[in-house]
Amino acid sequence: MIKVVSVTKRFGDVSALEDIDFEVEEGEFVFIMGPSGAGKTTIIKLLLRELIPDKGQIYFDKVDITKLREKEIPSFRQKIGVVFQDFKLLAERTVRENVEVPLAVIGIPQSEWKGRVDTILELVGLSKRSEMFPSQLSGGELQRVSLARALIVNPKLIMADEPTGNLDWDTSQAIVELFEKINKEGKTVLMATHNRAIVDKLKKRVILLKDGKVVKPKPKQEEAQ
Amino acid sequence: MNIHLKTALDYIRRTPFQALAATFVLAITFFVVSVLSILVYSSGQLLRHFETRPQVIAFLKDEATSEQIAALQTKLTRDSRVKNVTYITKEQALAIYKEATADNPLLSELVSPSIFPASLEFSLNDLSFAQAVIDETKKEGVVESVGFTANLGTENSLNDVVSRLRQLTFYIRVGGGALALVLAGTSFLVLVVIIGMRMTTRRGEVEILDLIGATPGFIRSPIVIEALVYALVGVLVGWLLTLLLTLYATPSLVSYFGEIPILPKTTGGILGLFGIILAAELFTGLALALLGSLLAVSRVRAR
Repeated sequence: MIKVVSVTKRFGDVSALEDIDFEVEEGEFVFIMGPSGAGKTTIIKLLLRELIPDKGQIYFDKVDITKLREKEIPSFRQKIGVVFQDFKLLAERTVRENVEVPLAVIGIPQSEWKGRVDTILELVGLSKRSEMFPSQLSGGELQRVSLARALIVNPKLIMADEPTGNLDWDTSQAIVELFEKINKEGKTVLMATHNRAIVDKLKKRVILLKDGKVVKPKPKQEEAQ
Repeated sequence: MNIHLKTALDYIRRTPFQALAATFVLAITFFVVSVLSILVYSSGQLLRHFETRPQVIAFLKDEATSEQIAALQTKLTRDSRVKNVTYITKEQALAIYKEATADNPLLSELVSPSIFPASLEFSLNDLSFAQAVIDETKKEGVVESVGFTANLGTENSLNDVVSRLRQLTFYIRVGGGALALVLAGTSFLVLVVIIGMRMTTRRGEVEILDLIGATPGFIRSPIVIEALVYALVGVLVGWLLTLLLTLYATPSLVSYFGEIPILPKTTGGILGLFGIILAAELFTGLALALLGSLLAVSRVRAR
């Protein structure tokens, strides 16, 4: 589904990513892991076509997204659900309205919205919070709204950039379990995180980044030494 | 309700003073434009009245035969500069005199039809032809003298009347047009500033919508709708104020200008005139709003 080929991205003299290669198959759950500054967010931004690599190609469903024209970007992004560390919710819209926005963006008839939104809010456990505003919700609830918004248009791929970065351990676990549940239902999940505990708990494939390069994950014993 | 319209109305509700400022400026602009449109219409009607009513009267000699009169009438009728040629007999002239002096019967009793000359009355397609036509008519053998019915204020020649009316109409059109342009420009700038401010405060929202795949059109729509709402309300308020003002002033205007039809005489006519003004203003207002909002959006997004 995703193929990243020899991608390099620099910001001025700073090299954010250096000759990165990896693939993600359809239905997989993959972590992009690494410390702060390793290049996780840059990869997410490249995959969302927020940034263009200086070198290399990025394929999504065999289409090189680095070559997309400006007007093709919205329809490409509509195929992906994205969850952000800072939630990126519309502060002046209710939970329901936030989740409805992607439906309006892709042009789903308004008559279908209520049923779809109710189903998704039920899935993320926010049925009773549907008329509340983001300012009235906890961090975990905000992230659930963000996940509901990502899922509402039934995308093939869910990308999450540090979705547990602002959450406590219990809430993080609950959110990650939701991602796992979604993955089991057939969605591809690509999650960037620096939280080793979460990665260890789920035992999924990990792409480990260090200083902008992909490194082979060390066995746990070796790492402990 | 459509999500874009709902979003636009939410923006308006959240910033009532910005909305009021935009609507107020647009309402003033379209009020002035409506008043100027009525002035342009009325001055045009005034000019047309003086250009087309029977202004030239060729008084005929008593000895003129009916064949000679008919020949002159035919000649004038065929003249492309002349229209509405009417032959007034001595008896008709007396009847007109009696009607004009009806409140003083003594005056009409003292006269007989013989003292009134028969005449040919006609009007002109354009007042600039007047002097030449009058000079030519004076040279006709059956014509005793030529008189003018057009007279305005202290002017006593047709050329003075024409030049004064033309000057008046010119000032109204050019001055009014310039004023309307300045006001329209101000409204445009106010819209650009307010929409620009809206876009700046919405920067975070625009970024989020961008990331979830919203097209530029989707992002622009509520902003453009908001500007269209301002323009629509501004046009309707300005237009309605002018309509009410005109209806209020119509009796005084009609009594002052008398037979000169500076405004349509029927309710249907007035509504028709105002309908045309409303249509033109809606078109202009919506075009201003559309251009202003698109310019503001593109400028903010380019930054």
